Amino acid sequence: MNIVEQETIGIIVLTLQMTLLATAMSCVIGIPLGLLLDKASFPGKRVVVLINRTLMAAPPVVIGLVVYLILMRNGPLGFLGWLFTFEAMVIAQTILITPIICGIVYTASERSAKNIRAFATTMGANKIQTEWLVIKELSNEIYFAAVAGFGRAMSEVGAIMIVGGNIRYHTRVMTTTIALLRNRGEINQAVFLGIVLMIIALLVQVIAGALRRRERRTDENF
Amino acid sequence: MKISNIKKEYEKFTLSIKSLEITNSAQNTIVGAESNYPGYVGAASNCPDNGQYKIYGIIGANGCGKTTLMKIMAGIISPSSGTVDYEGLTGRDITMIFRKPYLLHDTVINNLTYPLKIRKIKPNSEEIDILLSMAGLQDLKNEYALTLSGGEQQKLAMIRAFIFKPKLIFVDEGFSNMDIESVNLFEQYIQKMSNTTWVLVSHQMSTIRRVCEYVFFMHKGEITEKGETKKVLDTPYTKELKEYLQYV
Ligand SMILES: Nc1ncnc2c1ncn2[C@@H]1O[C@H](COP(=O)(O)OP(=O)(O)OP(=O)(O)O)[C@@H](O)[C@H]1O
Ligand SMILES: [Mg+2]
Repeated sequence: MNIVEQETIGIIVLTLQMTLLATAMSCVIGIPLGLLLDKASFPGKRVVVLINRTLMAAPPVVIGLVVYLILMRNGPLGFLGWLFTFEAMVIAQTILITPIICGIVYTASERSAKNIRAFATTMGANKIQTEWLVIKELSNEIYFAAVAGFGRAMSEVGAIMIVGGNIRYHTRVMTTTIALLRNRGEINQAVFLGIVLMIIALLVQVIAGALRRRERRTDENF
Repeated sequence: MKISNIKKEYEKFTLSIKSLEITNSAQNTIVGAESNYPGYVGAASNCPDNGQYKIYGIIGANGCGKTTLMKIMAGIISPSSGTVDYEGLTGRDITMIFRKPYLLHDTVINNLTYPLKIRKIKPNSEEIDILLSMAGLQDLKNEYALTLSGGEQQKLAMIRAFIFKPKLIFVDEGFSNMDIESVNLFEQYIQKMSNTTWVLVSHQMSTIRRVCEYVFFMHKGEITEKGETKKVLDTPYTKELKEYLQYV
């Protein structure tokens, strides 16, 4: 195995680490937030939902810029020294995909959580059992949210370029490498990495599909 | 349970129940309902003398508030004002079966045993077999519940309520998709299940007549007539009830 291949493997591993960590953190934040956003009623809720919807489609470079400003030496969190590190990329990705996961979970919850909670009440479920049931009944939608978030995080380049800096052996991931290779005219390597990226995306879908609950017939009214 | 001065306001509808009492048949069952509806005539004391009722009916035209009243009694929604006194009954003692039952995204058997699971009760396989065969679902028990037909779904919802033996069961048009034989079977089961009080909403006057001992008639969000079923259905007092029954 030559040095280039080893570097490539390192890049793939770093990409997966970053994406998985960001997706996991976004799930931990976004799933309860989406459920809570549906359940709670407070003044200004519609504005919060609108902001969530907007952030779902936020341009990655803008998010990257904001995280950059926060983490730069004179920024509010500059003392952490996280700019141009793995941590900075994970933070940017998490900020980018949490709204996606929250928004998808919110929409699913809005559609069925009320019915699920009413049913849980009739069964005599306590509060924890009720919320657990909501999560279980919405598990397909939650998987979908997580996979969508993962896909976005893995394919994203703008935000991590700004906060990670595409530093070799350090913050260089697949998408930033592809951009770099194309600039250098190393098209073969770029295409190879692109194919690997596509294969990973496919594998993620296959795994998610296997985890998904089969729904043969759901709620037909005819 | 006892409810008094309940109000629930929606945009174009107000439910207003002055008082209504349903006591579990294990205790002495006393029922009364009162209304400020003009023309309402009820027993002055609101309590039938030896009222030992086990199965109540609620009847009335579409949109008169039957489901809303049931949801309040079953603790699924809260009234805008007024009080619901459960008299010691807890959420675990009361259940409601919806017209369109909620089935878990799971198998028939897991739907059936869900109430036991959350109570950490081990399912008794003999009892489960009896209930499944009663609902005609023994061959479908490992099927995905949402693939069941409409009537099968209603039967599953019924036996899922029976399995944890609640003290008070509200049934909102729970037979509407069942075939005649099944309706018969479940009616009989309801009559036999001891220590459980039933409140049924149904548009089938035949069902009401056969199983309900006491009936409430609702009109525009209020209980305007009530009494022992035969009496109420045979000698309706108010114009609205007469109209409601004219096509029976
Ligand atoms: N969540 C709600 N929001 C607004 N209006 C509601 C709501 N729930 C019920 N209503 C209104 O309250 C009225 C009574 O509804 P309810 O479902 O209690 O009627 P019902 O007696 O059960 O009728 P049906 O025989 O058709 O089942 C209806 O006019 C309905 O539009
Ligand atoms: Mg109704």
